[in-house]
Amino acid sequence: MSKIGVFVCHCGENISATVDCEKVAEEASKITGVEVSVDYKYMCSDPGQTMIKEAIKEKGLTGVVVAACSPRMHEPTFRKACSEAGLNPYMCEMTNLREHCSWVHEKGDQTTEKAIDLVRMLVEKTKLNKPLSSIKVPIHKKALVIGGGIAGIQSSLDIANAGHQVILVEKDPSIGGHMSQLSETFPTLDCSQCILTPRMVEVAQHPNITLYTYAELEKLEGFIGNFKATIRLKAKSVDPKLCTGCGVCYSKCPTKKIPSEFNEGLGLRTAIYTPFPQAVPNKPVIDKTNCTYYTKGKCKVCQKVCPTGAIDFDRPDEFITEDIGAVVTATGFNVLKPDFFPEYGYGKYKDVITGLQFERLASASGPTLGAIRRPSDGTEPKKIVFIACAGSRDPAKGLPYCSKICCMYTAKHAMLYQHKVHDGESYVFYMDIRAAGKNYEEFVRRAIEDDGVNYVRGRVARVYEKDGKLIVKGVDTLLGGKPVEIEADMVVLASAGVASHGAEELAQKMHISYDPYKFFAEAHPKLKPVETNTAGIFLCGACQAPKDIPETVGMASGAAAKVIGLFSNSELTREPVVAVVNRIASHEVSTCVGCFLCETACPYQAIVHEEIKNRAGEVIKTVAQVNPGLCQGCGTCVSFCRSKSIDIQGFSNEQMYAEVMAVLEA
Amino acid sequence: MDELRNKAKEMFDKGEIDIFIGYEEGTRNPRPLFANNADETQKLVFNDKCTGNLAVYLTRKDLVKGKKVGISASYYALKSIAQLFVENQLKEENLKVFGLSSDGQIRTLNSLEEIKQYLKDTPPPPKVEDDELIKQIDAMSSAERWAFWSDELSKCFKCYACRAACPMCYCTKCIVEVNRPQWIQPWASTLGNMEWQINRVMHMAGRCSDCGSCGTACPIGIPIHLLTHKMSETVKANFGDPNDKGNVLSTFKPEDKESFIL
Repeated sequence: MSKIGVFVCHCGENISATVDCEKVAEEASKITGVEVSVDYKYMCSDPGQTMIKEAIKEKGLTGVVVAACSPRMHEPTFRKACSEAGLNPYMCEMTNLREHCSWVHEKGDQTTEKAIDLVRMLVEKTKLNKPLSSIKVPIHKKALVIGGGIAGIQSSLDIANAGHQVILVEKDPSIGGHMSQLSETFPTLDCSQCILTPRMVEVAQHPNITLYTYAELEKLEGFIGNFKATIRLKAKSVDPKLCTGCGVCYSKCPTKKIPSEFNEGLGLRTAIYTPFPQAVPNKPVIDKTNCTYYTKGKCKVCQKVCPTGAIDFDRPDEFITEDIGAVVTATGFNVLKPDFFPEYGYGKYKDVITGLQFERLASASGPTLGAIRRPSDGTEPKKIVFIACAGSRDPAKGLPYCSKICCMYTAKHAMLYQHKVHDGESYVFYMDIRAAGKNYEEFVRRAIEDDGVNYVRGRVARVYEKDGKLIVKGVDTLLGGKPVEIEADMVVLASAGVASHGAEELAQKMHISYDPYKFFAEAHPKLKPVETNTAGIFLCGACQAPKDIPETVGMASGAAAKVIGLFSNSELTREPVVAVVNRIASHEVSTCVGCFLCETACPYQAIVHEEIKNRAGEVIKTVAQVNPGLCQGCGTCVSFCRSKSIDIQGFSNEQMYAEVMAVLEA
Repeated sequence: MDELRNKAKEMFDKGEIDIFIGYEEGTRNPRPLFANNADETQKLVFNDKCTGNLAVYLTRKDLVKGKKVGISASYYALKSIAQLFVENQLKEENLKVFGLSSDGQIRTLNSLEEIKQYLKDTPPPPKVEDDELIKQIDAMSSAERWAFWSDELSKCFKCYACRAACPMCYCTKCIVEVNRPQWIQPWASTLGNMEWQINRVMHMAGRCSDCGSCGTACPIGIPIHLLTHKMSETVKANFGDPNDKGNVLSTFKPEDKESFIL
């Protein structure tokens, strides 16, 4: 016989203002099987919880119904209290008198009647509750980090330093990402590569990190703690074990005129190449789309000159699978490309470049070794215009968001220009200056006040070429909308940060959500910024939204902390609210007929085939079985099962039926 | 006729089958024949009067368990067989199927693919009378329709002949036998009878071959086959032909509009 305790909460006045809580408690006490029924101002408070605990001990309760607020917040609270008093936590249920009743109805008898019905329903359900225990799922303590930019590097190092294995996958031939392309970094103007390359080397040498460059995630299956990742190792055509990185191959490669991705097209590279001198690993790959041997079937110069015989043209892509427990996605961003700005002449005029290209010009490792030169004729630009918000904050072009980093890097660019071209004149066209960050505002003021950068608040309408000069036509809104025309030698566009190529495809492979701009979506904009909606997959860096280096690094460490937290237990504990295939009587008997409609209906691939055998080991029948690690308790299978052979633990057909009948018969 | 008899006999002689499920002459219409040896095959008939859905016997464990089965199947029986394959109830290697073309030719169908192709190529036999009745019922107001079915189903005494005749009703434990909770009133009453028929039809959604055996089996002639016929048409119109697309109603797709599932 059930002994149910009903505990009605006033929630201060949240419930009691419209519901007569005393009456609810009184009516509940009349329900068959209710042993004790009380009301109290704050059930979640310490005295409230003590009341429940004492009732369990004194009256020997077999079930507890707390009639209060949404279970989302306090179900764990009350279940824990019950557990402490010796009752199985899953014998405790909450009914939501606040959101489902008091907040949505006027004060009155009917409102109280509804509250009584809600309690009645849950009492009947709770009578049928069975003790459950949480599900333990083993965890593979190995993390997969996708993307080898500063976010992926930081995350990998943090996880690896905590003693866990990390697999870092980078699609390019070297790790480093966009940060390796930058010249100096705001607001301190320290050299980007000087602070990054030691980290890159650390990754390569870390005993806990396995680095796969020129590799991509092919497939991700499984669930938190138990993913199976298939990684495609693209054929590098160079055996990394034999290659010593001597560089003879790329010095002799006859295909020399390929625009260098690392230099944003401002420099050239060969078909066999390492992207930059500090690359990690510092071993070349062959770019098959440009290599003469792959395109025309002849050449093999690199093979002839290689002193260690490392060149292997015939090696196919390889696939490896790894068991992993968590994934950190750090795939970064891209910048908006030429065809977006016909009015600024990008792509048409050589001296209209993007911010990222300017970084390469200003970088000591860049094509001009750090000298600011016009791409068209190599002369030093004496007048330069920077256009902020090129693409960003432009709803008309479909990018209403702020790219966040451009205000700062534009100030930096103008500053670097003034430092390198002392007699130069620089202008920045801006909408607003967004310099929220430690020492950021001071940095912008320095550019304006100490380095004499001319800031013009207004947008540029057009850029066109006239007599070898770029005519920038804009407007100065601070001078009452006065038209401004500048004859510039060079124009730099602070082009918007956009999602990286293939972001959508990757998100679909991993079953994580993304926003309309293909940036990956966090699980909660404030409280779960590094989690995704898929448990065990985390985010960091600019794949979530454009962000600067300090923020990216902070987020990367945050994601790493989540992974380390997950790996701190040998098993993962899950709520037992999962589907089970009923068995009646003995092991041989299952009411399941094995039609497996549940298998096609399951969104989580949680249904597996189980063979029931007799004592001779012969298969009598094949029935459905639920993998509790994969099941999310959605109940879709239950609704498809004609013989009612599947139930959700804690929400069984019988319990649901009892709830409905309780309200219908009342 | 001789052709089928010879084929069946040959299969017995070669040991390819242990039982042949077909038709023999009955009092008025052909009736099922279960031939257990080569001699019994000589009673087989197969013509356009053979409309009963023999696929119902393919899931009767007492009849076919562990046996290799030959069967002559009408158009609707073939549809049922195809669905039973989809639902993992049949094994291709254990089944030899014969279909009857509209020109009276007997065709051997060796695989699920061949059955599906046959069904694609063959138009379903027309259901003039049923379509006319459904038109009449559709024209009723919902109150009239409720009254019509209440009246019809008040006669039902729950013999479950409809269930026994249906090839898709192969569950070892039917929902009417589940008593925790008791979904359906076990005794015969108008409401309980309605509960049973609504459940039965919903369980057929996307699976029913529309053979009409349920209606034929009803000893007091309640036109319950109209429910499944109407439902089959509705499923086909809204979700696609299960013959082409498999489990149209019970296949999860990420683009499903039921966002509460994920």
